[in-house]
Amino acid sequence: MIITTRLSLLALLVLLPLASGCGPTPPASFRLNMVEAISPSAEKDSISAEQALTPAQEKQVATILAAMFGTPDTPTCLPETGLDPAKLVLAAGPVRSDIVGRKNGLYREHCVHCHGITGDGMGPTAAFLNPYPRDYRPGVFKFKSTERASKPTHADLYRVLHEGLAGSSMPSFALLSPVQIDALVEYVKYLSMRGETELALMRYYFELDEEDEGKLPETREFLVEEILEPIAEKWASAEDQEIEVPEMPEDLDLAASIAKGRELFHGDKANCVKCHGVTALGDGQANDYDDWSKNIYKIEEKLKTLADSEPDSEERQWIAEFERVLAGDALTPRTIPPRNLRQGIYRGGRRPLDLYYRIHAGINGAPMPAAKGTVAPEDIWHIVNYIRSLPYDFDGELGADRAVAAQPGPAGRLVATQED
Amino acid sequence: MPEVPITIVRRLPPAVVLVLAATVVGCGPARVAGPLPDAAAAAALRASLTSGESAGAAAEEVVSGTGWGSLTGRFVFVGTTGERRVLTVSKDIEVCSKDGMKLYDNSLRLDPASNGLADVVIFVRKSRRVKNPVSTEQLVFDQKNCEFLSPVFAARVGQPIDVRNSDPIGHNTNVSGSSFNQLIPAGDGTIFTPNRETGMPVSVTCNIHPWMKAYAVFRDDGYVAVSAADGSFTISDLPAGEPLEFQVWHARSLGPNGGLGLQKPELKWSSKGRFEITLEPDQVRDLGTLEVPAAALGG
Repeated sequence: MIITTRLSLLALLVLLPLASGCGPTPPASFRLNMVEAISPSAEKDSISAEQALTPAQEKQVATILAAMFGTPDTPTCLPETGLDPAKLVLAAGPVRSDIVGRKNGLYREHCVHCHGITGDGMGPTAAFLNPYPRDYRPGVFKFKSTERASKPTHADLYRVLHEGLAGSSMPSFALLSPVQIDALVEYVKYLSMRGETELALMRYYFELDEEDEGKLPETREFLVEEILEPIAEKWASAEDQEIEVPEMPEDLDLAASIAKGRELFHGDKANCVKCHGVTALGDGQANDYDDWSKNIYKIEEKLKTLADSEPDSEERQWIAEFERVLAGDALTPRTIPPRNLRQGIYRGGRRPLDLYYRIHAGINGAPMPAAKGTVAPEDIWHIVNYIRSLPYDFDGELGADRAVAAQPGPAGRLVATQED
Repeated sequence: MPEVPITIVRRLPPAVVLVLAATVVGCGPARVAGPLPDAAAAAALRASLTSGESAGAAAEEVVSGTGWGSLTGRFVFVGTTGERRVLTVSKDIEVCSKDGMKLYDNSLRLDPASNGLADVVIFVRKSRRVKNPVSTEQLVFDQKNCEFLSPVFAARVGQPIDVRNSDPIGHNTNVSGSSFNQLIPAGDGTIFTPNRETGMPVSVTCNIHPWMKAYAVFRDDGYVAVSAADGSFTISDLPAGEPLEFQVWHARSLGPNGGLGLQKPELKWSSKGRFEITLEPDQVRDLGTLEVPAAALGG
């Protein structure tokens, strides 16, 4: 009797994995951006069932992308991308050694489990991380030395890989060789250009005329000159878009600069206080989203407004399909808290220069606005000095000048109470 | 030792194994498998893209038209509107809801006298000739009482826009898709010069005051109009003698990307909100009253 039970247990254990699939692994393939395919629009609150791509259109996008960018195992790039194919080979494909014993397949060794094979920021571990890993496909990167609208430079991405991003799950890859990091940076650019091309193609179906019969032209004029080149051009021009940073004055009186910075931080001009809070704990504005989450949030809100559409209607089917896509192909939207400036942890780096870049250009993709043009360069330096003093200011200044009494809260956290 | 009913012992472990195994195998929502590329077609296309040749490149059509015309008309709302939604004001209450002032959803503005529909955008999708150079005159895009004063705003690419803040508190103005997200201090302003054409209008928001929302549309040729408070619009200096395709948009439209489809068979007005017209030189084409049913705007 006991033996039978054990046997059945054993059989179960063996059979289950078999049933769930142990066949030969299919070759790695890029995933189509299914959220975009069902709502191809830059403005997610004006989407409708009518604009969802048909299966034939999805297939066309997949085929055009394969023609322009190849597959995860054999990436290709057109010369117009400006990418170095040799670097892509080093980064792409399965983990393996080449003929001289050099490690290839670096992206799949180091990056794929968070950023995903397509660079969609949805690798197997992504849902467990906060913040979520970057989704490269919109081509938006936060931590860079360039103006807000510009792409990061090669050196910016190199720095992110080399140093990691403090306070996030992005580790430092300083143990890789410079050649390897270069290859990975090139591959991130490749995945990003591929994702941007995909977005542009999917959104272009709406622009077609009647006589195109819902099919994108597969000409060099359209695919390369109209779609790819503007994307590649933005990447190529990033190197010329670096923010000009004036030197911090050498004879600067630090105490005075910090005091000036505090005034600006709380003042109506720089207005840092609105989001980072009077105590700078990052508790001012807590209900906003970054661009990636905001898109999903907007879609969810839009679908709610359509909840009472006719059963069996085309719209109803679109909503049901959309819910399936969101469940499998989107991460639950999360609000983005403004940085707690009392901790001294800054994702984009803690050098004074890094903080200067963040304040000057804001953070692309995040609510953080640019102070460029509004706050003078020397005033940005004062704010930088004030921010750098905040983590060391435990008992003195914490919001005292704003008629705010700070007291230890229940969990030892500082809680601010307004005294009107 | 108390006797444990043997049947339970026997039945439990397989159940536990089943649950555990299922957990290990993973029961999360399945990712939706998009279609795989057609490998043969992709290889052929790649060859044609790298060789620099492309099949079926249409010859550039010759511009034959001369002279200029204009298009005019008036949008009128037909039906009943629901209650205007009161916006939730959660920040800067001392300014944004001063003296109990309420802020309303501004996405459907009607002329109370004539039911004229304001804030409809109409623009030319592609023009071959442009009459006027880009104006260097500054347009003003203002915000006051925590509202954008122009719920829908149009400008020509390259024309400077003075983004103003007439409130005693700071705003930040964030134009979607343009990477313009700039602090605007109280009583101050900053210049924004759009450098890229938008397709359909894009949203303009303020991250500090999340209820604030407007739309902006920027066109290379400047052939764009936003219907006025009485629903009327005019686009002048349009190139005559060439087919012009117009795109019509409204923030509340249920059409794709906000495209406003109307029942106008004589213009072949499509569900995407497009129609085509060829103007004669010096012609002022009046489309008359264009009725927009409530259903097209989601009631």
